[in-house]
Amino acid sequence: MLSILKDLLRYNREFAAGAALLGIVVAMSAMSALAPMPPDDVYVVPPDLPPSWTYLMGTTSRGQDVFWQLSFAIRNTLLFGFIVALLSRILSLVIGLLSGYLGGFVDRVLMSINDTFIVMPLFPILVMFYFVMRDRMSWAALALVMAGLGWAYDARLIRSIAMSLRTRQFTEHSVYSGMSTRQIVAQEHLPYVMPIVFSTTMNNINWSIGLEVTLSVLGFTNINTPTIGVMIYWANQHTAMTAGVWWWVFFPVALVIMVFIGLFLLAVSMNEYIDPRSRLSRMRSAKT
Amino acid sequence: MTAGAPTTVGAAGQGVAEAPQPQPVLRVSDLSAFYQTHYFGIVREVRAVDDISLHVLPNEIYGLAGESSCGKTTLIKTIAGAIQPPLNVVGGSVKFDFRGQSINVYESTPEERNAMRWQHLSYIMQGSMSVLNPVRRVRHSFVDFAFRHIGRSMPDFLDTVVGHLERLHLRADVLDAYPHELSGGMRQRVTIALATVCRPEFIIADEPTTALDVVVQKGVLAMIRGIQREIGSSLLFVTHDLSVHANLADRLGIMYAGHIVEEGPTAELFASPRHPYTVHLIGSLPRVGDAAPKKGLEGVPPNLADPPPGCRFHPRCPLAMGICSRETPVMEWAGPGRRVACFAAEKGITA
Repeated sequence: MLSILKDLLRYNREFAAGAALLGIVVAMSAMSALAPMPPDDVYVVPPDLPPSWTYLMGTTSRGQDVFWQLSFAIRNTLLFGFIVALLSRILSLVIGLLSGYLGGFVDRVLMSINDTFIVMPLFPILVMFYFVMRDRMSWAALALVMAGLGWAYDARLIRSIAMSLRTRQFTEHSVYSGMSTRQIVAQEHLPYVMPIVFSTTMNNINWSIGLEVTLSVLGFTNINTPTIGVMIYWANQHTAMTAGVWWWVFFPVALVIMVFIGLFLLAVSMNEYIDPRSRLSRMRSAKT
Repeated sequence: MTAGAPTTVGAAGQGVAEAPQPQPVLRVSDLSAFYQTHYFGIVREVRAVDDISLHVLPNEIYGLAGESSCGKTTLIKTIAGAIQPPLNVVGGSVKFDFRGQSINVYESTPEERNAMRWQHLSYIMQGSMSVLNPVRRVRHSFVDFAFRHIGRSMPDFLDTVVGHLERLHLRADVLDAYPHELSGGMRQRVTIALATVCRPEFIIADEPTTALDVVVQKGVLAMIRGIQREIGSSLLFVTHDLSVHANLADRLGIMYAGHIVEEGPTAELFASPRHPYTVHLIGSLPRVGDAAPKKGLEGVPPNLADPPPGCRFHPRCPLAMGICSRETPVMEWAGPGRRVACFAAEKGITA
């Protein structure tokens, strides 16, 4: 595993760039542990100061240091994306693998649920959740809702692979040697789909962070937990752009774009590691 | 091997006195297994295994030959108890008689069948090159398939595996390889090791050497035979390649369109085939010094969903008589250890 990472870093520029971008973002979120003040406190520093050596990224109109505020925001946003991806991966793996392997009635039931989720428009549903839950709509609740909505496409993808695996010799052999469904799915089929799961995880993190930012900017989330979207929300509330406090918007947006690009590059380069054919074509083009 | 008491197995209608035979390990009687589908009101029935009886003795290699789609694979799948709908057993029985422990495959519980597998009966499926999971190391295949059946501790089990691999001239480090890192012959040997590691009394193999070139095939065949002799098990194997059968099998059954049409000791069967189909099958083999052009058999194998009446071979048979299209010939004893299902052969006519 380590040697693969080393090779990817050395030979794959996309991977190196993506890893560097994400490294910066993760370092930034790690800074939150060193923050001199809690993220909820307001008017702890003089408001509206531009970036300087004292306040690296300036201060907000609410008297917060943008640098430290941003470290909390990006930490929460990353964690949010990660949790949504983790939960929805578990859902899509279990549903996709079981549906593909068992087939028949189970498959029909699971896939009709799955298709329902695919055709449902997510954004209005998320807004509706906010209007129903209002103050109870915490960061964790939103993560759960998003995870519950974000598994369907990938479950279908995984199901299609599981269906082909079901007909392979080694599956028949596993059945014949008396392995249970759980063992076959977890031990024989899961390793097969893992590369795809890695790749879709990146996309899923991107998707959930994007939606979270959208909802937060519009104020449809808990606006007291700092996330990238919530920061932009408060900046908009204080008309930061028209007031000339551009750093309040610029740094969160720049950082979240780094997350997007970083994850995208990782997903793309991971794909190359997974698919030997694209690796070969790269090697050929490198030679000529 | 425990040489059982003299029995009368297969003695019915057998005019020739025979030496006392040991108890057969496998007894298949009147087995029929059809693919039955029922979609949109259309019932389709493919009679892939139709009324087949055979037995396999301890320490014996029984070969099944026949052209593609004659039901060879379906037959051994049914014998192994590895069938799934739409394939259903519609009649007959499959009985195994392992040392003191007998089991009727289609009247036993899944648990009983499960307990029998690998420990007493192993099955190498068709396309045995792909029996190993391509994304897992070979070690895991051994652990997943065989460990639960061998009833030993893990280190002990792995020692057994390594020792067993050595017998097949494989180094212990193949356990840490992925299947794609092994050559075809090595993978085939790993598969054979997988099937024999628990030292089962009965091994079923479906085309164990297909896709290997003749040189590797010869080595693998020798190993199969060696290991079979060593652990004293019986082997039932299928291939369409008659030269493999000539090399390996003690007794040979020829299948045509879901029936066994002829059976006998391999050497005798090759020397004096009785059934016209067998005659043509063996006649198609190239021989050293024989430059005469080979003549093909007219026609195609029948559609098993709608087989011809009477003898299923009669539309292609050069010896076909009136009775052949009306009645189905039964397997009858034709000399010591030989059976044939043919009206012409009964009368002493051969092709």
